[in-house]
Amino acid sequence: MLSSSSIRPFSQFPHRFAGESSLPPTSTVTFRQSRPSAVVCSSAATTISKPASAPSSFYEVLGIPMGATNNEIKSAYRKLVRVCHPDVAAIDDKSSSADEFMKVHTAYCTLSDPEKRADYDRRIFRNNRGSRLYSMSSPTMPRYSGYVSRNWETDQCW
Amino acid sequence: MAAEPAYFVASDSETSGEEKSSFPIKDVAIGIDLGTSQCSVAFWNGSQLELIRNTRNQKLLRSFVTFKNETPSGGVSNQLAHEYEMLTGATIFNMKRLVGRLDTDPVVHASKNLPFLVQSLNIGVRPFIAALVNNMWRSTTPEEVLAIFLVELRALAEVHLKRPVTNVVLTIPVSFSRFQLSRIERACAMAGLHVLRLMPEPTAVALLYAQQQQQISQESTGGGNEKNALIFNMGAGYCDVAVTATAGGVSQIKALAGATIGGEDILQNMMHHLVPDMDNLFSSHGIEEIRTFGLLRVATQDAIHKLSFQESVQIDVDLGNGTKICKILDRNEFELVNLKVFEKCESLVWRCLHDAKVELEDLDDVILVGGCSYIPKIRSIVTSICKKDIYPGMNPMEAAVRGAALEGAVASGINDPSGSLDLLTIQATPLSIGIRADGISFIPVVHQNTAIPTRREVFFTTVHDNQTEALIIVYEGDEKVAEMNHLLGYFKITGIPPAPKGVPEITVCMDIDASNVLRVFAGIVMPGAQQPAGPFMEVRMPTVDDGHGWCAEALEKNYGTSKDLVTLQRKIQQ
Repeated sequence: MLSSSSIRPFSQFPHRFAGESSLPPTSTVTFRQSRPSAVVCSSAATTISKPASAPSSFYEVLGIPMGATNNEIKSAYRKLVRVCHPDVAAIDDKSSSADEFMKVHTAYCTLSDPEKRADYDRRIFRNNRGSRLYSMSSPTMPRYSGYVSRNWETDQCW
Repeated sequence: MAAEPAYFVASDSETSGEEKSSFPIKDVAIGIDLGTSQCSVAFWNGSQLELIRNTRNQKLLRSFVTFKNETPSGGVSNQLAHEYEMLTGATIFNMKRLVGRLDTDPVVHASKNLPFLVQSLNIGVRPFIAALVNNMWRSTTPEEVLAIFLVELRALAEVHLKRPVTNVVLTIPVSFSRFQLSRIERACAMAGLHVLRLMPEPTAVALLYAQQQQQISQESTGGGNEKNALIFNMGAGYCDVAVTATAGGVSQIKALAGATIGGEDILQNMMHHLVPDMDNLFSSHGIEEIRTFGLLRVATQDAIHKLSFQESVQIDVDLGNGTKICKILDRNEFELVNLKVFEKCESLVWRCLHDAKVELEDLDDVILVGGCSYIPKIRSIVTSICKKDIYPGMNPMEAAVRGAALEGAVASGINDPSGSLDLLTIQATPLSIGIRADGISFIPVVHQNTAIPTRREVFFTTVHDNQTEALIIVYEGDEKVAEMNHLLGYFKITGIPPAPKGVPEITVCMDIDASNVLRVFAGIVMPGAQQPAGPFMEVRMPTVDDGHGWCAEALEKNYGTSKDLVTLQRKIQQ
């Protein structure tokens, strides 16, 4: 078991064995800047990648007004994923593009579903202070926000 | 471990990123549709997609490898004088039905009446497979056979493209587990190929469809509304269904459904129908039986093909052992014999539509591809469910490989001035991935049909007071009982601080990146603590190897419930 599991990563992902820091990431390299382990293990300061400029609501993530129609949501989503999906992002930008894509996709998932959107809209209006309610429903952000003081999602509420 | 044969494994330098960025055009990945019965290779030639033909001018190559004397030869270069030649025992085929399966798998058992040798001990290890060479059964493995075949494909592509070929996009069945995918990657590595993407077959077709739709909408209005398409793909080994939402060159996979069911099952059913005691007749696997079986298989296959174009067919075959089959077979009988196969296809289509949450009236196109799409019953099943005619613009035998080659060009970062590569597929997970918890239950962390890349997490806690260790056993599938799913791997979390049961918080996070690599993270957090109680674990899955049928049993036997976990309810309700 040991011998063959050591062969597999070697043949597919030589980078991991070739000095991770020296090689630039390529399309097949899969490490990311903000893996959950890194989030947990590093201090809060280093985990906030774009605290100031981060969009705060799902509408802002997609760059649309709150009254946007379903078609506008869809086309805004498509426009964004064509830039940020790792398959199309620039080679040296793969790692952050996955996170970017997940953000956009989460926003899209909520806003493109009429029920989830109505629910989300209610929460925005009703609860301007606590992010707790819907931070759980966000699948893309690791819920380590207990250790990280701020992130793109909680920002809107502080 | 058993020594692998002398196919060389790709070295570091051949797949390095530096090479890729400095020769972007040269390194365009080719697309391979590695079918159970047929195979094809395509590439982006700078302006359009092109299928590669072999020296006999064939685009569709039979997937098999014949073992003769010292050098095995595959269906790329080997010319078959007649179909019977494939059925002498010296030829291994249907590799895709066998790869990465345990000897407890019903699909492996159903393969026992193939002319080559398939033996199983029913203990959850790799089945024994052998080819008849000089009157001796010589053992091999599905990975090795695939690798030999892939070496031939690679050589064919290299001769045609006049450059080395390393990067490939391969199509795979929807129902493949990650363990099976790792076996495919292993076969590719043995053949010196680097897998850029493994694409579920209908998603490759979806990408090709996205390109076609984009060209149409560019020509007409310019905008282009979202179009929902159902793609049904059925070949010799597998049936796959996908629902995709397409607009502006972006194909979003909304749902996937698949099963190990295909032309091979239809063929086996018909053979059993014609010779009910076939399994007994064939159990000794002697030379004479192999010959008899070959005659029956060819005659049956021929009849099935004819039934796609005519109402009835006359079967006349002398099996040589005193058994003569003389029978007129019509479509009704054929459809009755294969009732279960067709019912399964029907249920896959319904499930996929349901999972995609697409109403029938919102379906714009229905696409049928794969060898079985010629069967009238299959066409009528899909069209009557979807209440739509079949989309005319797809070549059923070439759509998947063309889509794979498109993805190869897109994922290699190629741009086309005309915008015909301005495409993107957003893939989805065909199966849920989760861990065993709450007793023997399967608790999904990443659900089926989640868009990739993705990252999800679920919280668990201990079941015993002062439990210091927990086993994370990762499964893939959609069965409620963990054991019924595909085991991907397991690891242990240690150093849980002593506490009453239900207090420590065990975080399990799963991360799938755009190349579909799965990483499982796990760690402990005590309530009120600002930092985790020790370093998190990061495990790339799958970690299991052949023989994992034993692993699950051994874990159960050695640990019982002592290292179990339950889902943390308060986290869910919060």
